[in-house]
Amino acid sequence: MAAVNTTVAPTGTSPARDDRPGRRPALRRDGRYASVFLAPSLGGLALFTLFPTAMALGISLFDWPVFGTRSFLGLDNYSHLLHDPVFRRVVLNTVLFVVLYVPLNVVVSLGLAVWLGPQIKGRQIFRVLFFIPVMTPMVANVMVWRLLFQPGGLIDGGLQSWFGIDAPNFLGSSTWAMPAIVTMSIWQGFGYNFLVFSAALDQVPQSQLESAQIDGAGPLQRFRYITWPMITPSMFFATTMTLITSFQVFAQPFILTQGGPGVATQTIVMYVYNQGWQFLTMGLASAAGWVLFVIIMGITAIQFLGQKRWVNYDV
Amino acid sequence: MKATPARTRRWVTAALSVLALTAVTACGGNNGSSGSSSGSADKADLTWAFWVAGSEDQAAWQKVADQAHTDHAGITVKLQGAPWDSYWSKIGTTLAGGKAPCIIGMQSLRMASYANAMLPLDDLMKKYGLKAEDFDKPIMDGLKADGKQIAIPYDSGPMVIFYNKDMFKAAGVADPKPGWTMDDFKAAAKKLTAAGKTGLVTTPGDLGTMSWVRTMTGAEPLADGKLNLTDSKFEQGFSQYADFVKTDKIAPQVPGGNPDFETQQFTGGKAAMQLNGPWSLIDTKGKVKFNLGIAPIPAGPDGSKTYTAGSGFGIARSCKTPDAAFQAIMSMTSEKPLTVLAQAGRAYPARTVAHPVWFTAANIAGAKETIDYASEHSIPLVTSKNWVQVADLLNRFGTQALNGEIPPDQALKTIQDQAGAGS
Repeated sequence: MAAVNTTVAPTGTSPARDDRPGRRPALRRDGRYASVFLAPSLGGLALFTLFPTAMALGISLFDWPVFGTRSFLGLDNYSHLLHDPVFRRVVLNTVLFVVLYVPLNVVVSLGLAVWLGPQIKGRQIFRVLFFIPVMTPMVANVMVWRLLFQPGGLIDGGLQSWFGIDAPNFLGSSTWAMPAIVTMSIWQGFGYNFLVFSAALDQVPQSQLESAQIDGAGPLQRFRYITWPMITPSMFFATTMTLITSFQVFAQPFILTQGGPGVATQTIVMYVYNQGWQFLTMGLASAAGWVLFVIIMGITAIQFLGQKRWVNYDV
Repeated sequence: MKATPARTRRWVTAALSVLALTAVTACGGNNGSSGSSSGSADKADLTWAFWVAGSEDQAAWQKVADQAHTDHAGITVKLQGAPWDSYWSKIGTTLAGGKAPCIIGMQSLRMASYANAMLPLDDLMKKYGLKAEDFDKPIMDGLKADGKQIAIPYDSGPMVIFYNKDMFKAAGVADPKPGWTMDDFKAAAKKLTAAGKTGLVTTPGDLGTMSWVRTMTGAEPLADGKLNLTDSKFEQGFSQYADFVKTDKIAPQVPGGNPDFETQQFTGGKAAMQLNGPWSLIDTKGKVKFNLGIAPIPAGPDGSKTYTAGSGFGIARSCKTPDAAFQAIMSMTSEKPLTVLAQAGRAYPARTVAHPVWFTAANIAGAKETIDYASEHSIPLVTSKNWVQVADLLNRFGTQALNGEIPPDQALKTIQDQAGAGS
């Protein structure tokens, strides 16, 4: 204690300290105000994010049934997940969704954003049209796609009446269920990145593109050497956010296939939901939640570290 | 007083600590004085948690609740409705937290999972003279856990075949009658399967699958209260059931994750038969554009065998006024509200005295004969504590088995392994 007192005592009493850069009264006042303004959001973060995250970590170490007695398990829940073939498949499904969805989403949204350049008439109308699926509640979107996909649905019925052939059982076949979900998700989700890329493309100065054209650069070269470097910050934002949200995919498989057939479309968040809220085993659900948290944190960290190599903030 | 950065840091730390503590107490605290109720046996304001499908549904069920106030001036019951799916996750957490409403809607298939948090009603039944024999026996038994009555039923019903009379007539197939056999059924279904339409539509739902398996081989999903899906008789029955889609092709391929597929195909006139419960009959009759008939499930080698399911109302253990809650439940399951529900076609009443009104409202020739026959040949589907998981797994792996992606016994083994015995 004595040591603490000796170091604390001079604080704020020595006039010399206040003269040091960064310790001026105005700045100190700013700091005080800043903490007041930050308090509500910090409080919210602590209450609604940090506390539940820590609580989940605690719960994940227990056998925590909603009814009945809880018992400490240590890392048993994690080792169960590691050895459970279903959970391994669930992780694989999630990764497969991400690997299919993220690149396709970026290609489709960037492609359409480039195509709908300033020279296209009525581009505002297209922008609104493409954004409608993003704004529509996911459940409504999924219900419509279910009517398209199911046996005797629009696709199957159309193929039968026009060509006399049966369409695959998209939502009932292990081969087709995941591609069906990815297709539906891209249709639903590309509008957001499309707007992000559209805004970024509008910021690319026309004069530079024109002078490059005069110098003899073709469309591909102009895109590669002028447009691309200028939109990399938007690209970084879009890929990071899309990656995070696609690891958390839930609503589409939950409503379209309920994770089936078998475990062909079950994702990590669905697994967490089922374990926690359907089967009432909170310990296992929390452990699976933490596995997802670590995966997302890891990949986001890698993205941030890697951005130095390709993201250009200087233009 | 000047605030130094160190002091600011201390303030922020202190503030965060208080916030965290508040969170801990808010989440962990359970002083038991929940919204359950307060009052005595004859005077209480009660809350009733139940599944409802919308505002019209909510209003209709609130009228059932109001019967309690009509019978007992001091008791009021307020309905707290939630959609079916979210109802169960909500009720699970509130029951576990000791904060559940006094009166809980309970379905027979899900009861085993929640029975620990519910009050056994046998003593209250004796005290207030509620007679078990006034209700359908299968559903009274279906709402028991370890021999104790957990809920009082308002609806019930054995699984029966709904069929499209017009399609039968057009295909020149005679209407099915009680006592028809599995061979009669398959011959009819094969004749009815033509021109993009099928004789049957099916999905791997728990109640339907178990009923088909039971009539085909007599096998039941539990043995001594434990899940027993890998029993050879059960495997054999399930395999024959999967054959409807896989090899007989009298039913269409099953899409994943659409619990309404059966009803959609049947009401849309794309399939001639489906297995369903009487609780859906009047609603289905209102939806379809053809003549609707019902018949018992076809008889296997040991006769027609089916399962009964139903729902009722129970009391949470945390309820402070179980006497008032029980009196309210007695009113809510009395003849009058059940008759009103029957007239509106909302439920096939669990009280036998209300049956005639329901048959009049249904107005389907032979309905009484069929349902009485099916009731006699039915037992309640008793489930394990992990049944919600079993039903979920059955839906997903059953789809693969029916569509012929994996062998039926492999599907059953996976379900058994994943769900465990679930005693």
